[in-house]
Amino acid sequence: MRLELRDVWHVYAPGNGFELPALRGVSLTVEDGEVLGVVGGTGSGKSTLVQHMNLLLAPTSGAVFVDGVDAGTLRKSELRRRVGLVFQFPEQGLFAPTVEEDVSYAPRQLGLAGDEVRGRVRGALESLDAAHLARRAPYTLSGGEKRRVAIAGVLAMSPEVLVLDEPTAGLDPVSRERLLELVTGLRSAGTSVVLVSHDLDEVAEVADRVCVLEEGRVRSIGDPAEVFYADPEVAPATVRVVAALGNICPGLGRPVRFGTTLQALRGLLEARG
Amino acid sequence: MSHSLGQFYPVESPLHALDPRAKILATALLVLGLFLVDSVPGLVVVAAALATLVAVGRVPLRTFLRLLRPVAFLAALTALFQVLFSREGAVLVEWGVLQVHEGGLWLGFLLAVRILLLVSAAGLLTATTAPVALADGIEDLLSPLKKVQFPAHEVAMMMTIALRFIPTLQEEGRKIMRAQTARGADFDDGGLLRRGRAMIPVLVPLTVGAFRRADELAEAMESRGYRGGEGRTRYRELRFGFRDALALVLVALVLVAGVLV
Repeated sequence: MRLELRDVWHVYAPGNGFELPALRGVSLTVEDGEVLGVVGGTGSGKSTLVQHMNLLLAPTSGAVFVDGVDAGTLRKSELRRRVGLVFQFPEQGLFAPTVEEDVSYAPRQLGLAGDEVRGRVRGALESLDAAHLARRAPYTLSGGEKRRVAIAGVLAMSPEVLVLDEPTAGLDPVSRERLLELVTGLRSAGTSVVLVSHDLDEVAEVADRVCVLEEGRVRSIGDPAEVFYADPEVAPATVRVVAALGNICPGLGRPVRFGTTLQALRGLLEARG
Repeated sequence: MSHSLGQFYPVESPLHALDPRAKILATALLVLGLFLVDSVPGLVVVAAALATLVAVGRVPLRTFLRLLRPVAFLAALTALFQVLFSREGAVLVEWGVLQVHEGGLWLGFLLAVRILLLVSAAGLLTATTAPVALADGIEDLLSPLKKVQFPAHEVAMMMTIALRFIPTLQEEGRKIMRAQTARGADFDDGGLLRRGRAMIPVLVPLTVGAFRRADELAEAMESRGYRGGEGRTRYRELRFGFRDALALVLVALVLVAGVLV
């Protein structure tokens, strides 16, 4: 599925003293089966942006298109099934007495039959390595487990685009790694992913394209190497190292991921003996 | 950001600059005095005075009126009860068992207007007084009761925290609603029962969150040395000046005018 935002503006509290334009003409696409990383400082409009992707927030002006169709004309429930949105700290929305009941909430809201619901719940929990937690009470889980269960609660709708708003915030490195594996796994299964993050390294690790937001505008968007090397200020540490060494050791190329950067540096050092 | 009942409206104005004690006393005076005002000209005088104060306090009128919306329902309901069940004065309309009396109509109108004015006065107080100042003012006014072991500081602190967290909880509720909407929740369709059930996925996390927040706040306060009111000094010392006294006198005069006309 291809998602497109065309010149989207969003103004909070229009017309009173606290008027705040959070998005100022954002245009971007999420291509079928890609991982789009969205980065930007706090207050740059990331969270406002993602809530437009399933029209939880309606644009003040501009429009959202799903496969070329104006999303405003689609049924809301349909749109929310196709574009799954996971908020920041989604574990705060867990409410059912057991994990499986909580994860089954969305499929039940969709009106699916019992077998289908159970299948969806199992599938979602399995893809998050959480099948063994099915009968536990959410409040007995660790932070990382809760986060995975909450994400499973959205994945159970089998969305065509999964939007994750800072999914790794506050998680330990192992849980973080697992979530990034989920993202790459979803991409291989054909699901598009929008990954909003403050962590440039993890965006560099998994994103096919990167969008940098600044004060509600798209500062740059495109291939991670293009975006990051054009703008080392907003690039991950590895890119800044390579950019800084570029003058004295040409031939490093423009690696973005941690692994490839390390390889490039090692290659260079070995070549020099 | 939406402005709701009991929320501070942070601008600079002569009303914002007044001593919170003067504003609390003036509000209390107005609220009590309103029950002595029982003529249309009297109500007009008080309403005009309040409207002037809203303007002086630089709270946009539209924002202020929006805050009255939830209370308007309560006022209307009260009025309706008076109109339907009061049996004073001449009968105006008779329709089966229902009778509308002249006295009921008047009483309903009077009560509804009083409720609206009362809430406006209280709303103006909280809109123009920062929560901390409000707490300091309440504490000060209650402090004579400390002599009889009344925990004036603690009561004031609890009131401030409660007030302070209304908008926070509202925002959190909205956030959780949006998150559950993303999971297919529907809060607008169906009958009362179904809508009530639809709120469970919001109310459970909201309650859990409120308790967690309360715990965290208590710990944060303690770790910053909070130990109740004893021996505590203030960052802002309250000063009751000429302008504060003048404000009180003016409010009293408005009330006298309201009662007499």
